[in-house]
Amino acid sequence: MDVLVQLILNGIMLGSMYAIIAVGLTLIFGIVRVVNFAHGEFLMVGMYAVYLISKHMGVHPYVSALPAMVLLFAIGALVQRFIIQKLLNADEHIQIFATVGLSTALINGALMVFGADLFSVNAPEVRKTIALGPMNVLIGHIVIFSAALALVAGLHIFMQKTVLGSAIRATAQNRYAAQLMGVKVERIYIISFGLGAACVGLASALIMPLYPVSPTIGSYFVLTAFVVVVLGGMRSMYGAFFGALIIGVVDSLSGYYIAPDLKEVVYFAIFILILIFKPTGLFGFGRGTE
Amino acid sequence: MLKVSNLTAGYGRTTILEDVSIEVKAGEVVTLIGSNGAGKTTLLRAISGMIKPKSGTITFSDETISGLSPDEIVGKGLIMVPEARQLFPVMSVRDNVKMGAFHPAVRDGAEQRFEEVLDLFPRVRERLDQLAGSLSGGEQQMVAIARGLMARPRLLMLDEPSLGLAPLIVQQMFDIVDRICAMGTTVLLVEQKAFHALKIAQRAYVMENGTIAMSNTGAGLLADPHIKQVYLGI
Amino acid sequence: MSPHRSPFNPLTLLLRLTEPRVYVSFLALSLLLVIPLLLDSPFAIHIFVTICVFGALSTAWNIVGGYAGQLSLGHTIFYGVGGYSAALLIQHFGLSPWLGMWAGAILSVGIAVGIGYPAFRLRGPFFSLATIAFLEVIRLLVIHFHGFTGGSAGLIVPLKIGWAWMIFQDKFNYLIIAFGLLVLSLFVSWAVRATRLGYYLIAVREREDAASAAGISTTRVKLIAVMISAALTSFVGTFHAMYLTFLEPGTMFSLSAAIEIAMFALIGGLGTVAGPLLGTVFVVPIAEAARGWLGASANGLHGLVYGTVLVLITLTLPGGLVGTFGRKVAALIDRLPGARKPEDREAPALRQITGTPGETVLEAKNLVMKFGGLTATDNVSISLKRGEILGIIGPNGAGKTTVFNQISGFLIPTAGTVSVRDGAGMVQPATPDDFARRGVGRTFQIVQPFGKLSVIENIMIGAFMHHHNVDDARESALRVAHLVGLHTLKDVEARNLPIGDLKRLEVARTLATEPAILLLDEVMAGQNQADTRKMVEIIRAIRGTGVTVVAIEHNMQAIMSLSDRIIVIDSGKVIAEGEPETVVRDRRVIEAYLGEDFVHAQGL
Repeated sequence: MDVLVQLILNGIMLGSMYAIIAVGLTLIFGIVRVVNFAHGEFLMVGMYAVYLISKHMGVHPYVSALPAMVLLFAIGALVQRFIIQKLLNADEHIQIFATVGLSTALINGALMVFGADLFSVNAPEVRKTIALGPMNVLIGHIVIFSAALALVAGLHIFMQKTVLGSAIRATAQNRYAAQLMGVKVERIYIISFGLGAACVGLASALIMPLYPVSPTIGSYFVLTAFVVVVLGGMRSMYGAFFGALIIGVVDSLSGYYIAPDLKEVVYFAIFILILIFKPTGLFGFGRGTE
Repeated sequence: MLKVSNLTAGYGRTTILEDVSIEVKAGEVVTLIGSNGAGKTTLLRAISGMIKPKSGTITFSDETISGLSPDEIVGKGLIMVPEARQLFPVMSVRDNVKMGAFHPAVRDGAEQRFEEVLDLFPRVRERLDQLAGSLSGGEQQMVAIARGLMARPRLLMLDEPSLGLAPLIVQQMFDIVDRICAMGTTVLLVEQKAFHALKIAQRAYVMENGTIAMSNTGAGLLADPHIKQVYLGI
Repeated sequence: MSPHRSPFNPLTLLLRLTEPRVYVSFLALSLLLVIPLLLDSPFAIHIFVTICVFGALSTAWNIVGGYAGQLSLGHTIFYGVGGYSAALLIQHFGLSPWLGMWAGAILSVGIAVGIGYPAFRLRGPFFSLATIAFLEVIRLLVIHFHGFTGGSAGLIVPLKIGWAWMIFQDKFNYLIIAFGLLVLSLFVSWAVRATRLGYYLIAVREREDAASAAGISTTRVKLIAVMISAALTSFVGTFHAMYLTFLEPGTMFSLSAAIEIAMFALIGGLGTVAGPLLGTVFVVPIAEAARGWLGASANGLHGLVYGTVLVLITLTLPGGLVGTFGRKVAALIDRLPGARKPEDREAPALRQITGTPGETVLEAKNLVMKFGGLTATDNVSISLKRGEILGIIGPNGAGKTTVFNQISGFLIPTAGTVSVRDGAGMVQPATPDDFARRGVGRTFQIVQPFGKLSVIENIMIGAFMHHHNVDDARESALRVAHLVGLHTLKDVEARNLPIGDLKRLEVARTLATEPAILLLDEVMAGQNQADTRKMVEIIRAIRGTGVTVVAIEHNMQAIMSLSDRIIVIDSGKVIAEGEPETVVRDRRVIEAYLGEDFVHAQGL
């Protein structure tokens, strides 16, 4: 019984990692309506940035969260402005190829610059566990869980209470009417893509102390993030958050009860089943970024 | 106030409007009627900047606006309430109405205007916290007009506000339009149901196949038997 | 009677060798063998083998990704299955890879159907995501069952030399096989494109609804495409495994390779026969050369090149090389000796529709359609008699198109039945393509042309329902084009037509399916007087051949002059029915259009 509870707790902690990444993906899809195949590579870029800042400026990786977020916001905004924007009216397959191409270029660019070796940062206290009653949790995981909660709460307040947030929600729900209100839709798209990328920037700073970075680290995380997003209803941040926790728990349980190397098979199978039978997601929010 | 001169416009390669000229003077209610497919919505879209004209000009208060982007035109006080309401379905009624005051040029005094607008629409005030998508057709139309009014329009364009509404609600709708005009807003009203529109309009145009087929005072057209021909082919 | 001319008739094929496009292609292809023969270096042979392999993979992928428009990013599933099947069969049973190749292909086809059947419901990026997920699942399973497959450590192909084992000392033999597989892929790809299947795939890719309305079973067509593609990909996988002699899950079920295959097709020209190979020829040598000369320090350079080129192509040349330059190059090639203009033969006459005039051809009983709380159709019944022209009118938003959708299979009524005459009795079709095959043809209110196909090809999509042979379909389509007055525009791409011609094209395509009942949804909307008059004449001519016509219209003059009978629909209900002159003076009808008080005001 204790084992089960520990596994679920681990799962929730793991899930909160995916949650931050998935929320970013949801923002981009919910507002700009583009599936960003390069999202994982944004994470990878963020992690390398965190690594470099930590190493050369001797600061704790968490401190690099802010510069990483700013850097990634800029990258996201630029990608939207110079690549996606031009393709918004193109055939869908062109949009797919553009972000896939970006993903390939980024992975291989990283390979050329950093090589295939794994890099980690030194932050030992993050890997310490503390006891919560009979269970153990990594400090690093608690930080991530709190950050995920704070992110969703922060975005909620932003979306509901600020003028810009209302404009973003309006654009997501009815682009035509939003234009009639005087919303500059292109600018909203740029900001939204930037925000989605910035989420990943936050994730990269929090993940770096726990996982080493290599050019392909993005692919590992992002496929799971896509599963989460589809599970959560594609356009809802709250759905993505809960979906992430569920996937985290599934990951943790199937790793223990089935086989460690088959846990991905379990949630890819879930992914495929949902795409086919309930494409609006488990929570079916799917109508706008609420 | 608004002058459309020899406008030709359409979508892509298709031309819908051919050499259309209309005028709306300050303080008037002008109505544009015509059967479905005549091009009325296309004309409103061209005026509000959602489609670019192929030729011709549009001026608003003697300023050329043809070719400007939609948000610039909103900034000048030319507001459109689109066909089929086009609300933000998963936002509350309150947020929907407040979005009307989004444009920086009209953000000042939004709170006060919010109260004034709600005075016109007591039913909307009752439903402020409901999701806009859950309201009935008539209520949604009122939210849409309220939203439009929040932008302090100098000229308000309404695209078929009575579409799909029950007869009783239609009457209420036109009463509101009448009151809006009495408050000093100039109105350009596009309608399919000719009678109500012609009753409240000072002047009217009839569109057919992308051109202006007739124009007269509201009362004049109301008594004109040719209207039946245009609508019903008899 | 036109004879059945198959494009695969040996005499026809031989004759085509004299056409410039054909012999130029053959010459260009042969360079893939000739150049390495002349260069005579193992490195050159390696590059050309790689070009042939990826060219073949990309060409095979294009059948699903390009023609059908379903962007699979997991195609290396079949490549890996082909490789592993053959290698394992050698290892455990000593079976030659020439036989193992077939085992791999059969397995791949099975997997393709298993993946395709559920996944084809997904469109665009979601389909791609699903294929990536499937690829990952299979890769992980192969690693997991390492006892059988060798797992991550990999599998070494038993080294037996000779043609029976596809392993050679002389590297050039590899190139011969690779070249053979490339030619096979190209031939199959060309064959698909040149027959009805190719046209159907493109139609499904462009507009699934319009394709269904033309009688195409969209799932079946996509499954056939993916089965062909999977088999070809699997063959190549078997060969490449023998070439590399070492298999491991990461490279055999590689996501980056799956992406590359798709990428080459896009760069060369998605959906064209030559595009994928051209894309491969364009990109692979650069990357391989970089890898060869700069060695490990250029690790990642080729991928960077691929990715950057891909992004640039999407921004600048979305049609790829063939899409952008193909027309001009083809025109140049056609100037060489031997070019022949294909002659256009017109079918003798459109089939007369047989059947007793006046009998019921369609019966819609008590149709109700509810969307959530909204009742869009409220107890509508229509009885359609053979040979009549029935007009349906009513104010905007009344629910006329909703009724159309129910009598053509695009909406399943909440209540009520729709039956269609089939010979002596009535049947109740189930799906849109079922309705189409039973003789109910419909146009769409918002026209749905197949933009990238020419006018004549658009019409052919309809003609294919009754004429499976491309030439016969073309003849029949030409006849229809004449009937509607589009024959002068027959080779123009549909996306370049103005609205009047597009409306006529819509009617033409539906007419080519030789329907017994023609449903026209606002075919006169947005057109000028001249076009409208032409359309009225066309409709009369159509009725003259025995077709029953139902038309939704707003253009009152037109519908008055055309219709034998009119039904008026308002708020989902039938409010009047009868002869045009009577109906239009009916007080209720005038109220519905102009408003109740209008009737008062004008004293009607």
